[in-house]
Amino acid sequence: MKELSVAEFGRRLAHLLVSLFILLCVTFVIGRVLPTDPVGAIVGELADPAAYAAMRTRLGLDLPIYQQFFLYLNGLAHGDFGTAVLTGNPVSSDLAQAFPATFELATLAVIISTFVGVPLGLVAALFRDSLIDKIARVVALVGHSIPVFWFGIVGLVIFYAGLNWVGGPGRVDVFYEGLVTPQTGLLLVDSLLQGETEIFWNALGHIILPAIILAYAAMAYITRMTRSFTLEQLSQDYVIAARAKGVSPTGAILRHVLPNIAVQLITILAISYGGLLEGAVVTEIVFSWPGIGQYMTNALMIGDMNAIVAATIIVGFIFMLLNFLADVAYALLDPRMREAAR
Amino acid sequence: MKHFSKGLFVGAFVGALTIAAPLSYAATLKDQLVIGTSLAQVLSLDPHQATEGKAVEIMSNLYDRLVNSTPDGKIVPQLAESWKVDDKGITFTLRQAKFASGNPVTAKDVVYSIGRLLKLDQAAAANLKRVGYDKNNVDKLVTAVDDKTVRIDFSGQVTAEMLLYRLAASTTSIVDSVEVQKHVSDNDWGNAWMRTHSAGSGPFTLNRWSPNELVILDANKDYVTGAPKMKRVIVRHVPESQVERVMLERGDIDVASAMTAADLATFKDKQGFTIQRIPTGGFYVLSMNAGNQYLSNPKVREAIAYGIDYKGIEKTIMGPYGRARNVPVPENFESAIPNPDWPLDVEKSKQLLAEAGFKDGFSLTLKTIAQTPRIDLATAIQASLAQVGIKIDIQQGNGSEIIAAHRARDFDLLIPQTSAYMPNVLGSMEQFSSNPDNSKEANNAGNFVWRSAWDIPELTALTAKASMEPDAKKRGELYVEMQKLFVEQKPAVLPMFERFEPIVLSSKVQGYVGHPTQLTRLESVTKSEAQ
Repeated sequence: MKELSVAEFGRRLAHLLVSLFILLCVTFVIGRVLPTDPVGAIVGELADPAAYAAMRTRLGLDLPIYQQFFLYLNGLAHGDFGTAVLTGNPVSSDLAQAFPATFELATLAVIISTFVGVPLGLVAALFRDSLIDKIARVVALVGHSIPVFWFGIVGLVIFYAGLNWVGGPGRVDVFYEGLVTPQTGLLLVDSLLQGETEIFWNALGHIILPAIILAYAAMAYITRMTRSFTLEQLSQDYVIAARAKGVSPTGAILRHVLPNIAVQLITILAISYGGLLEGAVVTEIVFSWPGIGQYMTNALMIGDMNAIVAATIIVGFIFMLLNFLADVAYALLDPRMREAAR
Repeated sequence: MKHFSKGLFVGAFVGALTIAAPLSYAATLKDQLVIGTSLAQVLSLDPHQATEGKAVEIMSNLYDRLVNSTPDGKIVPQLAESWKVDDKGITFTLRQAKFASGNPVTAKDVVYSIGRLLKLDQAAAANLKRVGYDKNNVDKLVTAVDDKTVRIDFSGQVTAEMLLYRLAASTTSIVDSVEVQKHVSDNDWGNAWMRTHSAGSGPFTLNRWSPNELVILDANKDYVTGAPKMKRVIVRHVPESQVERVMLERGDIDVASAMTAADLATFKDKQGFTIQRIPTGGFYVLSMNAGNQYLSNPKVREAIAYGIDYKGIEKTIMGPYGRARNVPVPENFESAIPNPDWPLDVEKSKQLLAEAGFKDGFSLTLKTIAQTPRIDLATAIQASLAQVGIKIDIQQGNGSEIIAAHRARDFDLLIPQTSAYMPNVLGSMEQFSSNPDNSKEANNAGNFVWRSAWDIPELTALTAKASMEPDAKKRGELYVEMQKLFVEQKPAVLPMFERFEPIVLSSKVQGYVGHPTQLTRLESVTKSEAQ
């Protein structure tokens, strides 16, 4: 079992790396053939051809694409993602700044969607076809079909502009801007570390709405999957037997069903988490959230290829890593998988 | 169990509300001005590099220039307290001012700054290069007489008035040469540092710039005319117009720009808000590629000019953004001629096409940046020209894509926009009336007319003549002649609408006056008590 696991682990890791390399190649090629003009964006619309050409050379865009690619790979091997046109900073330092904002948002969103979605799915399965089940199904359907963009605007109009319950766009109210020195980059954590509780509460008020809205679509998915996993288990003999022995429905769920669907749940939670990190783009734009989604969108607008490629790779890497970890967890936790391996 | 679940659900909901309720939010503070806008195009805050409007608005508060132009177009002193014009040039006397660093502003800084602009040689330099100043002659033409006196000699291609207007632009900002030179690396004139820092003598200093997030300006307490009323100015990136609207209504921002026409409309006559419609002196333009087999024919261009419903589009689409006009000079400018007679006239347009030999019409593509109001404008032109028999296929793209196509002459029709750099005929028209070399090899992509492959030697010569005419009366006559000739030539760069920048202000804000070339200064802006 142990040897097989290591081999399996290695195989999956290799798979991860190959996928990542393919992603890198594809993004790079697409990035270079897009009809965008980063040079024009830097030197300005009215710059003369000489200044234009000089900047083109400085960015290395006059080289053949394969040479650009090798130069890029070479830089990458030294941990250098190149310089971002947009900011003039090394892309890695830009990403180090933008990523925590997205990470904070997505993590809160995955926590919310798990703590709401899983119980809701369980309850819906337990009281199949009851009112609560119908509500859960409608909630899930709505979450799946209404665009995040629309939700974001409506949420702001109601809870921010109308009811004044939450903070507006941005990570914190403007007059608190710049008062917390980034340490981890996670504003909620940093403000607490620096004893700025007022800013902590303010930041919490700002993150809660985008996090809920971002969480909603994921929650819909988690609810639906939990419900169907649970229903499947509820019809199994062992649950029926347990119920016959007088175990309450709640007891059966907690003691028997939950442990059995845990592995499947981990997989979908991991997928959801990856999806949240990746899918924060629209939410970040609506909420003026200075995260990786907004960074990528702006980079795309001006054809800032170093930024786009690096951000795509980071997001892709996280997505693949989460899938990889889910696979590993699956193999480690699921008794049937262990059986099969043996 | 069922009851328990319901109870739990309701309880959780109520609980969530009570947690959320105490978090209430104050409006912006009295001594902080918050501006909401799109910062997506701001790539640098180095005044000798950046030319984008929003960047100019920020930089004009970080730096002073020798002279300033008021919103109504007068040249007034800024760092220069006075100047004397003679036949060969202008001598400026500097006032006693200090940079934010504490260093005094000297003639050396002025010489360094103009030299830096031309030697860095990016788009920002175009304004001075167009009239004969360049990196090779600048050291000879711009000199320090003594510590507080600067001499700028004429290049031979400019009059005193034209030079003063150019010196009032944000690109000729005076930087702290001592401070900048501390941050030079790889002969970059300190550009890498200057993109994200400030070294000026303006009423504000740059505290922080996070691209696409926010810019924070701090008051310069030692500003020469006294500290500004606002302790901080925060420019916040709000890319979504509807969100911007909500934030303004809610009081989280005080000034909003870059809103869609529909969102702007909600503030019309709304209590607590005012809309300012800032004239730019520029235009929304239909560029036609005169290298195209159909568009090279002046009759076809005239047919297109007759095939657009300017008045209808002005009313339904442009709203606060534009006013119908087909001469590239705003009608309130001195020497402006009346609009040519090109209203929508389908019959006339069809007849012109028939005369040109295209009775059955043809198809063209129309490229535009997917942005308010240009995208709606494109759709309206498509519908309007369909009646004439010209089938339009719209291709939308982002800024760099469309501009790249424009630079490469790779389009049939395209909708760019312009702005005037001085409030006179030349300031708004020059970019429509000068194309010194139309050959492909000239590769003069910085020239608006060249991009349309529109060859206009006569008009180009006339423009050059007007820009060198020192006598105001004679210049006025040349201006009229230029405009008439432009109309006669059936322009391949067809101005359609004079362009305005609408902004919405909370009535708490006083003293905010939008500037036509975005040199909006904020030192005298005040805010009344938060409501």
